[in-house]
Amino acid sequence: MKRYDLIIVGAGPSGLSAAVEAAKRGMRVIVFDENDKPGGQLFKQIHKFFGSKEHRAKIRGFRIGEDLLKEAAEFGVKVVLNATVIGIYPQKEVTVRIEGVVEHYKGDAIIAASGASENMVTFDGWTLPGVIGAGAAQTMMNIHGVKPGRKILMLGSGNVGLVVSFQLMQCGCEVAALVDAAPRVGGYGVHAAKVARTGVPFYLSHTIVKAEGEDHVTGVTIAEVDDKFQFIPGTEKHFEVDTICLAVGLSPMSQLLKMAGCEMEDNPRRGGQVPVCDEKGRTSVAGIFAAGDVSGIEEASSAMIEGRIAGIAAAEYLGYMDSGESEQAIKEQEEALEGLRQGMFAPQNRGKHIETTDEGIQISESLLKKGYIGDDEIERYPGVRHTVGIHPVMECTQNIPCNPCQDACPKGCISIGQNITSLPIAVEGTECVGCGMCVASCSGQAIFLVDEQIEEGYASVTMPYEFLPLPETGTKGKGLGRDGSPVCDAEVIKVQTAKAFDQTHLLTIKVPEDMAMKARFFTF
Amino acid sequence: MAAEWGMIMEMRIEEHPILGVQEKGKEVIFFFNGQEIKGYEGEPIAAALKAAGVMVHRYTKKEHRPRGIFCAIGRCTDCVMVVDGIPNVRTCVTPLKKGMRVQTQDGVEAMKQAE
Amino acid sequence: MCSINDRSRDIGEYIPAPDDDMVICRCEEVTKGEIRRAVHAGLFTITEIRRYLRAGMGLCQGQTCARLVKGIVAAELGSVPAELEPASSRAPMRPIEMEVFGNERIG
Repeated sequence: MKRYDLIIVGAGPSGLSAAVEAAKRGMRVIVFDENDKPGGQLFKQIHKFFGSKEHRAKIRGFRIGEDLLKEAAEFGVKVVLNATVIGIYPQKEVTVRIEGVVEHYKGDAIIAASGASENMVTFDGWTLPGVIGAGAAQTMMNIHGVKPGRKILMLGSGNVGLVVSFQLMQCGCEVAALVDAAPRVGGYGVHAAKVARTGVPFYLSHTIVKAEGEDHVTGVTIAEVDDKFQFIPGTEKHFEVDTICLAVGLSPMSQLLKMAGCEMEDNPRRGGQVPVCDEKGRTSVAGIFAAGDVSGIEEASSAMIEGRIAGIAAAEYLGYMDSGESEQAIKEQEEALEGLRQGMFAPQNRGKHIETTDEGIQISESLLKKGYIGDDEIERYPGVRHTVGIHPVMECTQNIPCNPCQDACPKGCISIGQNITSLPIAVEGTECVGCGMCVASCSGQAIFLVDEQIEEGYASVTMPYEFLPLPETGTKGKGLGRDGSPVCDAEVIKVQTAKAFDQTHLLTIKVPEDMAMKARFFTF
Repeated sequence: MAAEWGMIMEMRIEEHPILGVQEKGKEVIFFFNGQEIKGYEGEPIAAALKAAGVMVHRYTKKEHRPRGIFCAIGRCTDCVMVVDGIPNVRTCVTPLKKGMRVQTQDGVEAMKQAE
Repeated sequence: MCSINDRSRDIGEYIPAPDDDMVICRCEEVTKGEIRRAVHAGLFTITEIRRYLRAGMGLCQGQTCARLVKGIVAAELGSVPAELEPASSRAPMRPIEMEVFGNERIG
């Protein structure tokens, strides 16, 4: 039997992070992953991450994955791919299917970082080809380079549904509608807004009645639901789509821990069946730890920190660190984790309807119901100010843990302060030079540079643009409002591309003066 | 424009605004129900089929209902097909090889008319 | 033993529902109606349902349907999924060919 200090199940964000921390302390670590590529879901995440510097905010998920792999290699972590852990037995014996053989391994400690599986909902026709999970869509387009469909309806308005909808459009698919049975958008408002402004209609309090088609999906009917989630007759809407994408949540994949004898609990706030764990990821079985989605559904950024904590805790358990040393190392990680678990989307607020921000400003009802902030609502947020000349407009209206914009501005025009969930403030008396760093750094694509009068009767709006083809200077088209409807004629007057912008292009359009605070997207 | 273009639109993403041009393996020919199809070596069989517009991977045993890609990561087993004579092969995680014979699965066998 | 498994409890009659023919377990093609009827026939636990109907016993081993089945059984028992004991977890955790499962390398 092969013996290792630490066996880690899963080479995703938490598993790799745990491996790095343990290997750093001199442990012999082996990581098994059933997939043929490491990184878990990180390599499917092509958007910029939220958080602050320590959480690697404004860096795209797949690049964080690349860095994590490099770090793991540096510290000599052994990652075995196409290796499916099929059992954990007493004395920390692990069986792994590798090619045609079931191998036995023994670890002095085990970290389960096996992640989550997708939840599904049933409706008439849900087994038809063309009904897919959101994870499937991400895998097809971002890993295999194949479009999941031509015209797609998305069910689910959580961050996964919103982010995947945007990614579908980025790879050239059409998103016909975004639907959720809940009465309000579940994910970040900024994610919703960037989808809505391209013209995708949101149907909250709606769900799928039927997927149509003989051998595969050719259409879908949705209908409004009442507060008991029952269909309201006469509210049906039909869409011709070839694909229906389901993004209705995740469940921890914790069966291995149950088999290992860990005490389990069914905790709806953590997404289902999870091991009972302390803050270091220790389960009820000495030497078995859990980290990442398997111990409670959260974002990848939190999973990476949980992984680091479990790695350190495992090192302490086996005596590779003394407890003083590990306490200090864990404390630093816990502070970082605490930073991410703040704001209105924090785990403790799951399911709550929050009506005002920490600053006491009313949350946009339109944002929660239609995916965009109303033109009449935008002025009440502290990131929206009017000054002469070019200036940033931060349409960031919910308390989410994110602050790269504050660091991005070389002129101090944007302030978030100590609390990273505070709304960004346009600082009075500062002078914007129009460098665009804030626009490109905003993971939520919610910052615009506006010059309310570039010439008599005209204003300019600079926006983030992550689509192909990229328009050129002189391209004429339409300015779209926050709701995605055309509001004016517009002409591209500048296109900026820079390494520091990391694939986010900055598009500056010229629009009629009265559209300066309304035009937020460009189509041609 | 969208409708007509949609009809002939390639399912392959030629260039991605964030990922650029994704690396592909060597172009190879394989057989879907006896018909020659092009794909890239090493990509999942399911990706090659999707790019070729194939939606139905199998028909279920009890109800004879069509199934295709559902999870795309080897968990749900909906996309299984008969590959080189072996049934229940998860096409979403099985790398494509030159000359592979992929057949629509009917229950646990290759579909009759499928060669 | 928790009260949810108390077989002497009256859970009422099985009442047919319009979505009873909806497939829940995609692998074994088990419908919602079959699961609901099984509960009324006295099968209160997920393990019993799995053995009786094969829901969650197919190729994917319940990856997709486990949560759905749990929800249906809980609703039929007038309870919530969190109250229900989940199916037992045992190796092999993933579908595996017998020839591989039998090919162990212990040394």
